[in-house]
Amino acid sequence: MISALFYNPVMVSFHSELLLLLPLCAAVGLVYKAVRVERLSQLPLEYVKLLAYMAFGLAALCVLLWVIHTYWP
Amino acid sequence: MTKQEQSSPNPVLAVLLACTIPGAGHFYLGRAKRGIIMFLTITALFWSGVGVGGVLTVDPQKERWWFAAQMLTGINGVVAWQRQTKAYQTLAKAGGDSLEDRTVTAGIALVGPAETVARAYSGVAGLLNLMCIFDALMLSVMGAPGEPQPQDDKPKGLAKKEAAN
Repeated sequence: MISALFYNPVMVSFHSELLLLLPLCAAVGLVYKAVRVERLSQLPLEYVKLLAYMAFGLAALCVLLWVIHTYWP
Repeated sequence: MTKQEQSSPNPVLAVLLACTIPGAGHFYLGRAKRGIIMFLTITALFWSGVGVGGVLTVDPQKERWWFAAQMLTGINGVVAWQRQTKAYQTLAKAGGDSLEDRTVTAGIALVGPAETVARAYSGVAGLLNLMCIFDALMLSVMGAPGEPQPQDDKPKGLAKKEAAN
């Protein structure tokens, strides 16, 4: 049953495709901070900070591109 | 040979372990918790990609560069590649239309946007493991096994000397 789960592709809509950037950012941030932090106790806070930076950065980029796309003459 | 030299980690072994199983290099270097975090995250990300894209996410013929990145996940990439090869062999035995058409008929052909998501997830998982491999190599070359000593645990004289510097 588990092998069947990884056999056929899942249908992804365009809107959910953009939201799927978040788990990717979460994974990248977690591994990056697991490598970088000096003490493991710092990991949760550093990870949340990095995740917030990435999420807000991507959202800002998204809005900027939307504005350019919509209002560019 | 001094005691320190005897206990210094082997960089080749650290890299080999990190290449085979994500996080195993750090586990070997005494950074078990970090190793477990890396293993779980990289493995989950890779198989999420394969879960979205299906068995043809790992494809050495069509997507060579993504395949190279995916293989950096070590055992995960090898298992996914083996499953892809098996799926193609089963389809090849069936005969009839071209192999590409048969993947469509079997419902395993990768189409966008699932293709992009699947390959990005699995490929980025491999690139993350590359970062872990490099970190394991650097730590073993520098001879720094185990978690770094917390600042408070250092002898007072040493902490003062470091603060003065």
